[in-house]
Amino acid sequence: MNQQNTISIPANDPFGKATNGKLGMWLLIIVDGLSFAGLLIAGAALRASSDSWPIAGELLNIPLTAFNTFLLICTSFTMVMALSSIQRGDERGLKTYLLYTLLGGVLFLGIQAWEYYHLIHGGFTISSSMYASTFYVTTCFHGLHVFSGVIYISCILWQAMQGKYSADNWDHVEILGLFWHFVDLVWILVFTIIYLI
Amino acid sequence: MDKNKQLYIKTAIILAILTVLEIGISYLTISRMGQIVLLMTFAITKMMLVAWIYMHVQHETKTLKWIIFIPIPAGILFTIALMYDIPFRWVV
Repeated sequence: MNQQNTISIPANDPFGKATNGKLGMWLLIIVDGLSFAGLLIAGAALRASSDSWPIAGELLNIPLTAFNTFLLICTSFTMVMALSSIQRGDERGLKTYLLYTLLGGVLFLGIQAWEYYHLIHGGFTISSSMYASTFYVTTCFHGLHVFSGVIYISCILWQAMQGKYSADNWDHVEILGLFWHFVDLVWILVFTIIYLI
Repeated sequence: MDKNKQLYIKTAIILAILTVLEIGISYLTISRMGQIVLLMTFAITKMMLVAWIYMHVQHETKTLKWIIFIPIPAGILFTIALMYDIPFRWVV
C-alpha cells in the first residue's frame, strides 16, 4: 500500500475516545436542537406580535403534563442506569432499566394522545387559532421524537436480549442514551414555554 | 450503592423538585417579566443538569464541549435578530 495514502490517528485526538457513532449522534442532536429552537422562536415571535394570546393554564391540563414531565425525567434516570449497568457488566440490569424506559416512553405517548383527544373534542384543533397551531406543531414534533425513541429502545432491548452487549461492548447503549436524554432535555424547554409561560 | 447511582438519583430528585417549583411559579401573582425570567432560569438549570450529568458532557473533551455549546449563543442571537422589531411595533 502506498504510504502516502494511509491516515494516522493523532495521539491527542480532539474527540478523545468518542466513537464515530457517538459523534454522529451529537451532530444529530445539535441539528435537531436547532430545529426545535426554530419552532420555539417562531412561536415566541408570533406570541410577541399578537394582540391577545390565551393563558395556557385555562386551556391545557397543566397537572397532567407536569406528571408527564416527571415521567420523562424518571425515564432519563432509568436510561442512565441502563448504561451504568452494562458498563459494570450487569446484563440483567441493562434489560430491566431499558424495559422501564420503554414503558415510560409508551406511557408518555399514551398520556399525550389522551390530552390531544380531549383537546380536539373540546374544539381546540390545530386550525382553531395561532396559539393552537403553535401548540400542536411543537408538541407533536416532540411526540414524534419520543415515538422514534421508543422504537429505537425496542431495537436495542431486542439486541440486549440476544446478549449482544457486555462490559466491553456498550457503545450502542450510550448512543441511544444520548438521543433519549435529548428528548427529555427538549421537553423541559417545551413544557416551560408552551405550558407554563 | 455506587457513587454514580447516588449522583443519578440526586439529579432526578433535583429535577423533580425544580419541576414542582416551576409549576408553583406559574401560579404566582408576580410581574410577567419576573415570572418568565424565573421559569427560563429553572428550565435552563434543568437542561444543563440533564446534559452535564445524564449525557456525561462533563467527561467529554474540550473540542466536543465547544461543538455542543457554540450553537446555544448562536440560537439566542438568532432569536434577537428575528424579534428585534417587536417592541417598536406599538411605537410607530
